[in-house]
Amino acid sequence: MTARDLVQQSGLGERKWRRRSLWALLLLIPLTLAVEAYDSIKALLADNDLFARRVAWGQSVHFGGSDWKLTNLRGAFGMANLPPDSVPVLADFSVKVGDPDLQKLWLGCKVMLIDAAGRRWSPTSAVTLKAPADVQTCTSAIFSGAKSGDTLNLRETFLVPKDVAKSIRPAVGLASERPHFLLFQLERD
Amino acid sequence: MMRKTANIVLLLVAVAFCYGLQLSKPHYGDLIGPIPTRGRTGETIVGRNFEARAEKVVFARNLKADRYGETKILTTGGVWAVVTVEFAARAQSTSVAVASWRGPTGLAYDQTERMSFADGLLPVTIDPGLPKKARLVFELRPDEVSNAILLISEKLMSALDSQAEISLGPVATASDSLPAGTVDTLDLTQPM
Repeated sequence: MTARDLVQQSGLGERKWRRRSLWALLLLIPLTLAVEAYDSIKALLADNDLFARRVAWGQSVHFGGSDWKLTNLRGAFGMANLPPDSVPVLADFSVKVGDPDLQKLWLGCKVMLIDAAGRRWSPTSAVTLKAPADVQTCTSAIFSGAKSGDTLNLRETFLVPKDVAKSIRPAVGLASERPHFLLFQLERD
Repeated sequence: MMRKTANIVLLLVAVAFCYGLQLSKPHYGDLIGPIPTRGRTGETIVGRNFEARAEKVVFARNLKADRYGETKILTTGGVWAVVTVEFAARAQSTSVAVASWRGPTGLAYDQTERMSFADGLLPVTIDPGLPKKARLVFELRPDEVSNAILLISEKLMSALDSQAEISLGPVATASDSLPAGTVDTLDLTQPM
């Protein structure tokens, strides 16, 4: 084998590998993007209530280790000192605790109201209504030390415009279940 | 020889291209900074999560406010600017917490912290369909008043989120070097 042959051969090998490398990029670039984006996508899914699980009226659903049931949704009409055309809405839930590790399972608990257009209302601090002593909010229930088998009464208060009061549905999201959340249907649905 | 020259030319082109990119590309801070939505006083500025409309700006020598039932007068060596802004939430409840006043020379003034006891200031929580007014109070140098821009965002680190930029327009100066129409004492206990 002459030196010239060797040079020619290595040139051939180089060309072959260059072509292989270029083809490999087709695979490697999307793969890199996927690996780089993995953490961001995981965080996006874990932080947002994206996919609704519909719950029929009167039905109890296992969510975040406990059984959730919507017991009441009503407006508190006739209150003074509120913005015009607004109405406070109270959402009551009855939750039978299954797994008592609420501090882990109920972390980031978020109760909200969602209207037909998808707008979301968070609980308000503008309205304070007297509640029975055994009624808690979702966040305060986390630290209530509830045991397995206990039933918690949760209530959240919202302020919504009067014209959407008919179309709103309550929803519950927990960090341990995100991106899924519960969307409760009402009796008339 | 030919090949060598071609390589050198290619390298030079690449260097020039990279230098051009470096010169023309936005700064990293701009890329991940707030996304401005611009408008003027009286216009509704629509951001991602909130809408803002600056209704009016009032300048005052002194402010009168209630602190736990006791009337307090706040004086200043400069001038008080009180902007009344109507906020509205878009798709979900949110709160607007941060505003600053950027003067014509680029000096930026945060909201005053001397008023933290008063009602109707930021942060303001807003719900969809229920617009709410709030007052933004700034303590300024008189020469930073004209052609200022009001910057409003939901939170301090509003990276890649909307920031309302409201041009407040020119303000005439009176003989005492304060803005024309400066009131002596503005009563903040009055409704907005």
